[in-house]
Amino acid sequence: MNTNLKISNVTKIYPGCVANDNVSLEFNSGKIYALLGENGAGKSTLVKILSGVIIPDEGNIYLNENNLKLNSPLDAKKNDIGMVFQHFNLFETLSVFENLIIDSDEERESLREKIDTIMKKYNFSIDLDIPVLNLSAGQKQKVEIIRCLIRSPKVLIMDEPTSVLTEQETSELFLSLKKFSEEGILIIYITHKLKEVMQLCDEVAVMRRGKLVSVSEIKNENIESLANKMVGQNLKTIKKKKAKTSSDQLIKITNLNFTSEDPFETNLMDINFSVNRGECLGIAGISGNGQSELFQVLSGEIISEKNSIEFNKNYIGDLNPQERREYLMAFSPEDRLEQAAIPQMKIFENVALNNFKSSNFFNNGLINENKIKEHSKKIISDFNVNTDNIELKSQFLSGGNLQKLIIGRELITSPDLLICFNPTWGLDVGAINYIHETLIKINEQNKSIILISTDTDELLKLSDKISVIHKGKLSKIMNAEEVTSEKLGILMGGAN
Amino acid sequence: MIKIVKRDQPSRAIFFFTPVLAIFLTLVAGGLIFFILGFKPFEALKFFFIVPIADKYGFSELLLKATPLCLIAIGLSFCFKSNNWNIGAEGQLTFGAIVSGGVALLFYEQEGFYILPIVILAGAIGGMLYASIPAILKTYFNTNEILVSLMLVYVSKLILDYLVVGPWSNPEGFNFPETRQFSDSAKLPLLFEGLRIHAGIFLALAAVVISWFVFYKTYLGFQMKVSGFSLKTAKYAGYKGKKMIILVFLISGACAGLAGVGEITGPIGQLHREISPDYGFTAIIVAFLGRLHPVGIIFASLVVAITYLGAETAQIFMQIPKYTGQVFQGMILFFLLASDYLLFFKIKFIGSKK
Repeated sequence: MNTNLKISNVTKIYPGCVANDNVSLEFNSGKIYALLGENGAGKSTLVKILSGVIIPDEGNIYLNENNLKLNSPLDAKKNDIGMVFQHFNLFETLSVFENLIIDSDEERESLREKIDTIMKKYNFSIDLDIPVLNLSAGQKQKVEIIRCLIRSPKVLIMDEPTSVLTEQETSELFLSLKKFSEEGILIIYITHKLKEVMQLCDEVAVMRRGKLVSVSEIKNENIESLANKMVGQNLKTIKKKKAKTSSDQLIKITNLNFTSEDPFETNLMDINFSVNRGECLGIAGISGNGQSELFQVLSGEIISEKNSIEFNKNYIGDLNPQERREYLMAFSPEDRLEQAAIPQMKIFENVALNNFKSSNFFNNGLINENKIKEHSKKIISDFNVNTDNIELKSQFLSGGNLQKLIIGRELITSPDLLICFNPTWGLDVGAINYIHETLIKINEQNKSIILISTDTDELLKLSDKISVIHKGKLSKIMNAEEVTSEKLGILMGGAN
Repeated sequence: MIKIVKRDQPSRAIFFFTPVLAIFLTLVAGGLIFFILGFKPFEALKFFFIVPIADKYGFSELLLKATPLCLIAIGLSFCFKSNNWNIGAEGQLTFGAIVSGGVALLFYEQEGFYILPIVILAGAIGGMLYASIPAILKTYFNTNEILVSLMLVYVSKLILDYLVVGPWSNPEGFNFPETRQFSDSAKLPLLFEGLRIHAGIFLALAAVVISWFVFYKTYLGFQMKVSGFSLKTAKYAGYKGKKMIILVFLISGACAGLAGVGEITGPIGQLHREISPDYGFTAIIVAFLGRLHPVGIIFASLVVAITYLGAETAQIFMQIPKYTGQVFQGMILFFLLASDYLLFFKIKFIGSKK
């Protein structure tokens, strides 16, 4: 049966921002639709409205001409709308099967049969009786998909589904989605990755600042045209110049190990690498393979053996982050809101988090506010942070501006080495470009970077050398020119 | 129709308004309780909140009760601001009182200007020593400071019990559970003839000023603030977490210890079984009612002190048990926590359209 989903004049206003401005869209089954837009463009809001998480201020949703009242996620489920969120909603310690049946009133036996049939039909192979925490991200996503399929949905919405997947897992997912579509399920695919839209979808709707800017068929579009629609301006593509080959070694990690007491953390095993001046070492990997632990070991949040880290001819493995900063290292952690900055504090207070002796932020234990403010103003103008009020609480900065502030704070001390972890995660294209340009610039100034990232494109664009981390072990270090994203994907999946 | 909407950011005005709202709701609920008990609500509330402080003596009593509350709450705010949950101020108060009382007894029947400072210092050190136990266990053995500090309260009370009944009891005291009277040099001077308010209030005021300075002007205050918001950030910034935990516990213990000194070297002048009507626990309410802000804590300590006095007057004039005071303290905390909901949510009244 043909499914028709219509969004009609939907508006959702948050104080200070129109998340959806009179959006109307129509979808028909048999096609895969992409909903494309930068972060903050309003796609998540629209999707949350479709799945009953948010109630729109105005407008209606029609499924096959029926006006739906979606007041809760349960209403959406009842109306055959299934949704797979970017962040999984699974109970890690329960088994796959328990996770699947948790919101169902059907008999266990019949459900098990149903699940087996679904798995067979779509070639999913997951052990139903092991706890979810033992699954890879791709498998967890399959569990989420099966949970939707049990209810035989008419509409399946996928929110940024590939952010945690390897290349191989992504292509498997695409095959499954195409199969669902052939069987009459209406697929709405939310993403900001243009390549995926071109690969997978039939039609694409682009959103920008809460408004729908275009609906078109994929065959009439290409990556550039879509990118320009998304950003609303012509993007210049940046290319990294070939690095000057330098043999001046800056940091050397030798036989570094970390064993965690926390079963949810990854142990690091026998990490060895070195970075020369002016070089960018990229560390690729699927999130959860030890990146966070590696970052913490490098930043000094986790202290290791003194001799395991040699920086600029000093052994610093046993120093904390503040002491490492004195040796001209700088750190930009992954989590902007919970670690790198404190949203409830003012911009200049956040600047004072990177405290090194010569900055004189604190004299004799007293706060030198003037000095901090002066310094903050410089960061804001040098790094294009879009505000002139350093008394502003940093929660009012957009993700991009906050990241510029953080990177600026770390770089204004002109460190010899910047260690950053997913520096552009969740940012819009404009901010990503700015951060990338900044990183290229510091390499050109003969400073070094260790870039830990889950974004393969970013790594290929910025790195001189690349290694892959998998289950706490690093692969051998490769020259970036010899590496392709396919090869990285294979290594990220754990193969040699 | 009433609709509850999440705020974009916690409102600053509401942040200071909710304590006032909580006090108002406490009065309403208190009036209701009195009504149910068969009293005229307004008259009962008057006995509770106005009569006790209507004269000079009453006002001095108010300050007398507010002093330890304020002092302890200031100390606790160092802990609470930096994410350390010291619940055992009552124990630190008791232990501070034990140490300073012991020192005061050493100077029995001696006079000298140097005695009082030594006695005060001993109390602060006693409180610090006692607070260092949960702090060290937390930093080096990863124990939960809430449990440890709380349980140590009972330990300290039993130690005090043992001392005043046993080795330190007054030889001429007919076996009453109390020590000898301290010499005048070991007592805090009274400020006015005939009133019980003593010089301890200056300790509390000094603590207010110092804490304000530390919170808002020093690197330590900044580090506490950061740690209070996010321990992950504090670690990333490279702050020495263990050192800070121990430091804030020591400060908080010293304040509680000083409050203990004030209790025994003030009007009482000896150690006995019940030196504190749970000031250490009530000060937790004071700290939060005052929003962990030094000035807020002054006001909060005055408000909460009234409940102690009110309970006494109510007992005398209305034959209500004095534990009503604790009921009121409980209600203040309850309503404060409840109205803090308004920090993150707002209530919208929507006219019935159509």
